[in-house]
Formats: sequence, structure tokens, C-alpha cells
Amino acid sequence: MMALLRMSAGLILWAVAFCILYGLHGIGCAAGWPSVLLPGGISLHRGMLIAVWLACIAGGVAVILFERRPRRTLVERTGWRLAWVGMIATVMTGLPILILPACL
Amino acid sequence: MKALRLHREMNAIWRTEPGWRGVLRSVNHSDMGKRFIVAAFVFFAIGGVLAMLIRAQLATPHSAFVGPEVYNQLFTMHGSIMMFLFAIPMFEGLAMYLLPKMLGARDMAYPRLSALGWWCYLFGGTILIVAMLVGVAPDAGWFLYPPLSGKQWTPGINSDVWLLGITFVEVSAMCAAIEIAVSILKLRAAGMRLDRMPLFAWYLLATAGMMIFGFPPLILGSILLEVERAFGWPFYTPALGGSPLLWQHLFWLFGHPEVYIIFLPAAGAVSTILPVMARTKIIGYGALVAAVMAMAFLSFGLWVHHMFATGIPHMALGFFSAASTLVAIPTAVQIFAWLGTLWSGRPQMKLPMLYLIGFFIVFVLGGLTGVMLAVVPFDQQAHDTAFVTAHLHYVLVGGFVFPMLAAAYYWLPHFTGRGRVMRLGEAAFWLIFVGFNLTFFMMHLTGLLGMPRRIDTYSAEMGWTSLNLLSSVGSFIMAFGFALFAIDVGLQIWLGRHYRRNPWNAGTLEWAMMTPAPSYNFASLPDVDSRDPLHDRPELCVSLARGEGWLGTARHGWRETLAVDMVTGVPEHIVILPQNSWLPISMAGTLGGFFLSMLAGLYMVAPLFLVGVAVIGWRWGWTHGRRDDVGRVPAGRDVALPTAFEADGTVGWWGSVFALGASATLFASLLFGYAFLWTVAPHWPPPVLVAPMLWQPLLLLGGAGAALIATRRGAVMVGLAGQGAMLVALAGVLVFASPAPTSHAYAATSAAVAGYALFHISVALLMLAFLRARIRAGFVGGARGNELKIVRLWSDHAAGAGVVAMLVLAIPGWLA
Repeated sequence: MMALLRMSAGLILWAVAFCILYGLHGIGCAAGWPSVLLPGGISLHRGMLIAVWLACIAGGVAVILFERRPRRTLVERTGWRLAWVGMIATVMTGLPILILPACL
Repeated sequence: MKALRLHREMNAIWRTEPGWRGVLRSVNHSDMGKRFIVAAFVFFAIGGVLAMLIRAQLATPHSAFVGPEVYNQLFTMHGSIMMFLFAIPMFEGLAMYLLPKMLGARDMAYPRLSALGWWCYLFGGTILIVAMLVGVAPDAGWFLYPPLSGKQWTPGINSDVWLLGITFVEVSAMCAAIEIAVSILKLRAAGMRLDRMPLFAWYLLATAGMMIFGFPPLILGSILLEVERAFGWPFYTPALGGSPLLWQHLFWLFGHPEVYIIFLPAAGAVSTILPVMARTKIIGYGALVAAVMAMAFLSFGLWVHHMFATGIPHMALGFFSAASTLVAIPTAVQIFAWLGTLWSGRPQMKLPMLYLIGFFIVFVLGGLTGVMLAVVPFDQQAHDTAFVTAHLHYVLVGGFVFPMLAAAYYWLPHFTGRGRVMRLGEAAFWLIFVGFNLTFFMMHLTGLLGMPRRIDTYSAEMGWTSLNLLSSVGSFIMAFGFALFAIDVGLQIWLGRHYRRNPWNAGTLEWAMMTPAPSYNFASLPDVDSRDPLHDRPELCVSLARGEGWLGTARHGWRETLAVDMVTGVPEHIVILPQNSWLPISMAGTLGGFFLSMLAGLYMVAPLFLVGVAVIGWRWGWTHGRRDDVGRVPAGRDVALPTAFEADGTVGWWGSVFALGASATLFASLLFGYAFLWTVAPHWPPPVLVAPMLWQPLLLLGGAGAALIATRRGAVMVGLAGQGAMLVALAGVLVFASPAPTSHAYAATSAAVAGYALFHISVALLMLAFLRARIRAGFVGGARGNELKIVRLWSDHAAGAGVVAMLVLAIPGWLA
């Protein structure tokens, strides 16, 4: 089972990142974080989301490095592929943080 | 002669009893698989007739064929039947029938659970159909949105029929999911490493995992809605702090993965059939495995795209829109791998291939409109129009029905041992293909012209008349095609000539047996050292029939099969499976009594059936096991292995792990609901909180600690006392400190959280009592420690749930 979990590590990380970002987004809207401005004019809400998003991407990169070796078996090679999938999916699904209004 | 003698001996152990006794008591996976498939096709036919009635109504403007009340029942039942009573059970049946044979095993991991699932499916489905026949079928759409489905707008039992009937059927789906996952991971042929598994097994492993985590949110949502309707707990009532959007979240948390749950097994069939038709090996096995796993995960990040029009903030819509477009990539990887396989091989245009061509065309079109709908501005234009109806039918008929028709023609010689009689299948294909596209391509256009879904009539001035008439004509052409398919299958079953084994020259193990398959599948179990063992060793079937593989002797009346290491496929121990039994039908009947008494509003009677479930569950566990150690026994190949009674990592342990994973998902969904209501719903914070308390948390923590330690030291009585203390503590909170659950959604969700923990603590108490009785009776002891380990899992989970529930109840009061 550990081999299967390791194989899916990149996707599990994406799922965790997705839940955290969506949850944080909802909590921030409910708590009024968009109206709290940080130095530089960025809202507390967007700032926190960007920080968490970048941390999750960094986690994705760490999983890629972790899965890089060994790649002898199909399960190990799949784990490496899925680590890339998870990291790229984290980048893609988090992009709206940079672009879209948070709570409208 | 040795093969014949072994056949007789094996068949005596594994066979289904003759007559009604066999019908009611069989637990054999081939029987169960065939029953699921036949019943699913019957439900498909019923759903198809409803579709024809819908199309008859919409063929012309101002139709007086049926009124809106009947029409609402027609489309609700059509959707519900096709999703819950046809698609899922159909692939469950195919998986049950095929998986052990493809993996080189003699049965699924839990034969009695297969039978329980079958009876729950049959009884639950029957409740829905009977309700329809007496005119009280669900009528709020197949996704049953409140407030329309709530007590105020649906005061009759229509919604209750859906909630209770579908939940009853979902017992079957959960049984199947756990069983499929454990069977694939543990019950494979010796040497069948993960990377030698047939792709069909990879697809079903992903599907089973998705079901284990995807179904619990819907089961939770259904329980909450039924409790709201029955007892007035306001989970979905905004005036009292509830929110209808909570239902939408819970429903689509299940509902979108459901689309992939339906598609993936069909894609597994495509990946199996297509290389055989192309007379080559599949291209990109590793890429396909990665794509399947990626789909299984990413599909859980799409659910809000069904809610794009509900006023959710733009950024959140962006998250889900991005994930929805992203999931097209692993889908495309599969399409290109299949096209590459066709390109590299020498395809034969045999009948299964014809249906695969239909699959490619229809499914790719449905996928493309799916990408269109993943884009928020387009979705907001097309939302709730016939365009969406067209899209979902292109995806589901293209992605499931066409591959299943290909699978039917591909594996029918395996089921029947017979060949085709006439070439009706080709005519059926063209009728279905042309009829389908005529029906649903037109719906894209009517949708873009603004025709909403689910309307029972329209006026001629709207300009939809000719397109609707064409759709209706197409639907009847398609129905003729399906009728022809049914006739063709019937002719093959009853009139087909006996046919050679492995007619397609396939390489997978299901063809390494006589057809129709014997009750035990393989007289001895194979060694596997490649992905296409039959291509490497065409004589394998004869060799296995002579008993030259693993477990090639019939002894002690044991139903034996091999359990292997999950990754390497090295044999670990011998699983001794249970015999035919009355228990599955008894359990399903008792569960049916519970659901029917709830449906009838007999709320004082319903708990009696739960007591019955506990009694039968006790008997279920009691009838399997040994009072002495048998040590290692010969398994063939000069190897001796322990039996599962004396081994670690058994199927029972893994089944408990997956069952608790499903239950934990339900609990997590409930906690999500609690947080969602607190942050999003109106009328929060609640007027009255759970009162601050002291003795209950302390008692609960003490009980949880005692239970955790006791099950590790085998001190069952201490474990019972610990769980008992937790029960008292949580019940104390509900009785002495909580506001009435009907007063506010906060009180209702708090009580639901406590109810979840109380349920698990009760189960743990029952299991600990069972364990104590088993120890006293001699079933646990010596090398036979499995049951203690399994009970420890359940006891630990109950302790964890109790602590989390207490925190959820106590923290708001402490902070106030």
C-alpha cells in the first residue's frame, strides 16, 4: 500500500492544496480579509492565498525531487510522472488567485 | 482424466446449489456478476421506456400526452434509474464476473458481501420501481435539489422514496467498491506484479478508490435531507441557518466523480478489447496508468462546475474551471494511446470494434462540449438548457453505453460458450448510432436556441418544433436498435452454436478456462510473468485444468484462493472463502425492513431492524474461523503457506481499512458541512450554543485513552469500559448541554456530528463484545490474532471520532 501511496503522492498533494486554497478562500470572504490591506496595497486575503499557493507549489517540487530516484519499476516511474502532474495541476488551479476578484 | 476428476472435486466444493436454494444462497462471483448485469439491463430498458415517453411528450408543442406531475416523475426516474440502477450496477456486475478470472483467482475477496450487495440492489431498485408504478415516484429531478425536494414543496413520500431507495442501493455500491479494491490488491495470480496487471484491473482499482471516497458525501447528504424531512432538523432551511447549497455541494462532491466512476470501467474495457481487435499490444501502458490515476484524483476538483450559476465568487469558480479543463488532458492521453494502438496494429472490423468506433466518435464530441461547459461564461449561457442534456448524454452514452455494448459482444462467448447466430448486431449498431446522434445532436441546437431542461411543454413560437421532432424520431430509432441488440443476445444465449475457447485470441487470463466458466474458475491457479500470459503460454488452460498450478487439489471442502503481496505478487497466504449462505439475503431483507419502515414513517419500528442487522452481523462474523492453528499447508510448487486465519495483512483487515476510509470521508464531509454553514449560511452565529461543559470532555478523553491502550494489550473488558465511557459522555452532551436539533442548523449539525461518533462507538462496543465471545470460544488465540487487529482498527476509529466530535461540540461554548 505504501508503494501505491507513494505513487500517488503528487496527486495527493494537489488534492490537499486544492482543499486548503478553496477553504481559505471561503473563510477569508466570510471574515472580510479582502478589505484588510497589507503594505504594498495587496489584500490580506490575496496575500495569504498567494503565500499558501506558493508553498503548495514548493511542496509539489519537493515531491518531484523525492520521486526522481529510483525509477526502476513502473510504479516508481508512474509516481514520478504523477508528481509532475500534481505540481502542474497545483499551478494551474491556483492561477485564478492572481487574476480574479476574490469575493464577488 | 485427471482434469475431469479435479473438475468434479472442485465443482462439488464451489458449485451453486440447484433450484431456489441456489438462487437465494449463492455467493459465487459469476452468479452475482451475471445477476447484476441482467438486472441492470432490465432497469436500462425501464429507463429507456421512460426516455421514449419523455421524447413523445416533447415531440410537438403543447403536447397533451402527459401532464407536468407525471412528466416530472418521468424525467426524475429516467435519470435516477440510468445513473444508480443501470450504469453503476452494470459495471459492478462486469467487474464481479471478470476480475477474479482476469487476475487468476477463484472468487472475489468477500463473496457474501457480493451477495449482500446484489440483494440490496434488487430490493432498493424494486422500491423505486414500485413507487413509480403506484404514482409516488421521486419528481424533483435526479439530483433532488432542496428546497424543491423538501417537505414544504414535496409533502408526499416522493423524495423519501429517492432518499431511502437510492441509499439502500448505495449499500450495494459501497460493498462492491471495497470488494473490488481488496480483490485487485490481494487476490491475484502468483507473480502478477502491479505492472503486469491487466489494464482493466488498474481502471477498476481507480474506480473503486473513487467510489470509496466519492459516495460517502451523497450518502451523508441523503441522510441529512431525510432527517430534515422526517424530524425537522433544518440542515437545508435558510430561515433556521441551513442552506440548500450545502446539498448541492454534497451531491456534486459525489456527482462529478460519478461521471468518471462510470467512464473509467468502460475505458478499462476499451483498453482490453481494442488491442485484441487491433492484433497488437496496447501502446503506452505506463502512460495509461498515470492518466487513469490523474483522472481519479482531478475529477474530485470539478464538482462546483455544476454550480457555476449559484452565485459563488469568481475566484472559486476559477479554481474549478481550471481543474475542469485540466482533466481533459489525461482523457486525451488515453484517446491518443488507443488511436496509436490502432495505428500500430492490424485492426479487424469485427463487431466489438464497430461499437468502439462509435465510442470514439460520440465520446470525443461529448468531451469537447465538456471543455466548453468548463468555461464559466459559456456555462452561464448554456446552464440548465438542453445543451447540457446533450453534452451529458454524449459523455455517458459515448463513454459508457457504446463500450459496454462492445464489451457485451466481446465477452458474450465467455458467458455463454456460444457464437453468434445472425448478424443483427451490426444492424443494431447503426440504428443506435444514427438514432443517438439524431436525438442528441439536435439537443445541442435546441439548447443553444434557449430551450431549458426538464420543461414539459413549449409553444410553437419558440422555434424548437422541428428540432424536437427530429430528436424524438431519433430516440425511437435508437430504441429499435437496443431492442435488436437484446434479441441478438437472446438468440446467442439460446440458439448459438458451441464455440471455441478464446475466439479472439486474447492474452488475458479469463480465456484460460472452459466457457461457460466453471464455478471455481481455475482448477489450479496460474503463475504469471507477463501482461499477456495466454499469448506466451497457449497451453496454459490445459495445464491449469490438470492441477499443475497453485492450489491444485480439492481438500477439506475449503474454497481456497491465493493472497499475494500487493506490489510484487509473491504468494503470502491462502484465503479460505465462505460457503453459500442465507446470511446475505437475511441481512438485505432486514436492511430493507429498516428502509421501508422509515419510508412508512414508522420511526419507532425502524430501530428494531437495526437490532436485527446487529444480530445477523454477529452471526456473519461467527460462522467463519477456526478454533485451532493449522500451520502452513501445501500450496503447490513445493511451497507451503499459512492460511488467512494465521496470517497478517488479510483481506478482512484491508476491507476494514477501506470501510473506515469511506466512513472517515463521510465524517469529513459532515465537518465540511458544519464549517460551510458556519461561514456561508444566513442566521449565523446561532442564537444558542452547546453549553460550556467540563465532565463530559474529561470522561470522553479518559475513555478514548483507555480504549486505545486496551486494544493494544488485548484487554477487551477495559476496551469495553473505555468505549462505554465515551458513549455516556457524548450522550450526556446531547441530553444535558445541547439546544434542540430542530431549533437551528447549528444544533442539527452538532447533533449529527455527535450521532456519527455515537454510531461508531456503538459499533466498537458490539465488536469488542464479539471479540470477547470469540476469545472465550477459542476462535482467537495462538497464531489466530486477526480478529483482535481488525477490532482494534474499529475501536481506534471510534475513539478518534469521539474526540473530534467532542471538540466540535465543546469549542464554540468555550470560546463564547
